[in-house]
Amino acid sequence: MKQNDKANPIAVSTNGRYGKKAASAKGGRPSRFYGVALPGVKEEELSGTLIVIEGTDGSGRSTQITLLTEWLESEGYAVQTAGLRRSSLVADDIDALLAENAVTRLTLALMYSTDFFDQLERRILPALRSGLIVLADRYIFTLIARAAVRGIGRDYLHGIYEMALRPDLTFWLNVRPEVAFDREFKKAHTISYWESGRDMSLSNDLFQSFIRYQSLIKKEFEYLSRRHGFIELDGEGAVPAVNRELRKQIGAQLGIKNTHYQPSSALATLWR
Amino acid sequence: MAENISPEQSAVAERPLEKIRVAKREYPGALVVVEGIDGSGKSTQLYLLKRWLEIGGYRIHFTEWNSSPLVRSATRRGKQRRLLTPVTFSLLHAADFADRCERQILPLLHGGYLVLADRYIYTAFARDVARGCSPHWLRNLYRFAPIPDITFYFRAPLDVAVDRIMAGRPKLKYYEAGMDLGISLDRAESFRIFQERILNYYDQMMPTDKFVLMDGTAPVNRLQKQMREIVGERINLAQFAPKKS
Repeated sequence: MKQNDKANPIAVSTNGRYGKKAASAKGGRPSRFYGVALPGVKEEELSGTLIVIEGTDGSGRSTQITLLTEWLESEGYAVQTAGLRRSSLVADDIDALLAENAVTRLTLALMYSTDFFDQLERRILPALRSGLIVLADRYIFTLIARAAVRGIGRDYLHGIYEMALRPDLTFWLNVRPEVAFDREFKKAHTISYWESGRDMSLSNDLFQSFIRYQSLIKKEFEYLSRRHGFIELDGEGAVPAVNRELRKQIGAQLGIKNTHYQPSSALATLWR
Repeated sequence: MAENISPEQSAVAERPLEKIRVAKREYPGALVVVEGIDGSGKSTQLYLLKRWLEIGGYRIHFTEWNSSPLVRSATRRGKQRRLLTPVTFSLLHAADFADRCERQILPLLHGGYLVLADRYIYTAFARDVARGCSPHWLRNLYRFAPIPDITFYFRAPLDVAVDRIMAGRPKLKYYEAGMDLGISLDRAESFRIFQERILNYYDQMMPTDKFVLMDGTAPVNRLQKQMREIVGERINLAQFAPKKS
């Protein structure tokens, strides 16, 4: 595991500086928002914890989130999940736009940001006000990376998302594009249009297109990881090993001393 | 479209408004925009300008706010079910405008058209600031939009504009009246206060965004004469004239 604590203008390093305990601290504490706060949101009301898991398709994100949810619930914490394209406002419209393939990169980026803020305001913030743990299956970082590799300015994108909430912890499950390809192909028996960046005309060969696109995304994530202080985990590691590392970090954030966990029989198939 | 900028640059919020860069003007076309609150007479005037140019055979295209089919269903659903917050309202309209900008306005400007727009980004600035969004955030959001060659700002006193709207409309819509802001339970009252906020922000933008002020209470034909004169002075119309064979 590697952790990036490098100072930068927007991000603050991780590890509980404004988690539950820090919520009552006065003065000098950085805002929970990157820039201006969302209209009408009182930061001191947000007593929950926001944990983000980032990583490309095939990095094991959803498996880990399923396991973490069970572990946290067994520890007595209530969990809310969030992800991309799950808003009630525009999720269906994004699906339609993706299928139609007539949309431009900028419109798509802005539709995703609408989807994101709808979930932030209607799902994530209410959960945090109620003291829940929010596990986000990807966050603004994937949206920024996807748009940035398509030539939309990074500072333009960071400007749009400056009203987003800073996560308490951001994990990046890092895998090589080749490994992501193997895992995705095994799962779906095909490679999706968007995950291989075919709109970018990188290569007529689908494998090449996938590898080149995912390499571009990975490079963008390396930059984002420095800027925002991600906790980088080896997504190629075995599920139990990655899960142990996640529990250790989250346990430290929440003050859970003993982070031992054995999945229930319902989830046993994930534990390999 | 903004190009990539080094990560060392500070966040948008820390920079003064005028420092937020906008799209470069590198096209042979021209863009003429009308702005102002509802009932200020701007649409009538732009229609007459359009007729004048059409009859003269000029290469023009007319476009209006909120007309892109791609995101129309989302906007409608959001409004009907009242799902929209100030931020998602703003983003959805920005997505809609981006679609029109990238697929219609910019190609036409590059193709050498005179583009006439009924409402433009200033409508979003005024309306969304009135809803509580940050002006800095909005300026950044719409940075991809080309700057108009002329922005006509039709200004009518609040009472005149509100009376014109109320006379022609039996019932004000929820978002139109700014009911989502919880200013007043009375729609007409809410509408008036919301429009007043919008009008105030238009006035604030007038010097910085170089609006050409038009008196919305002046007679229609006199205003149109004035508008045609200004267009004739500031736009090289010969460039858009029909080719003589």
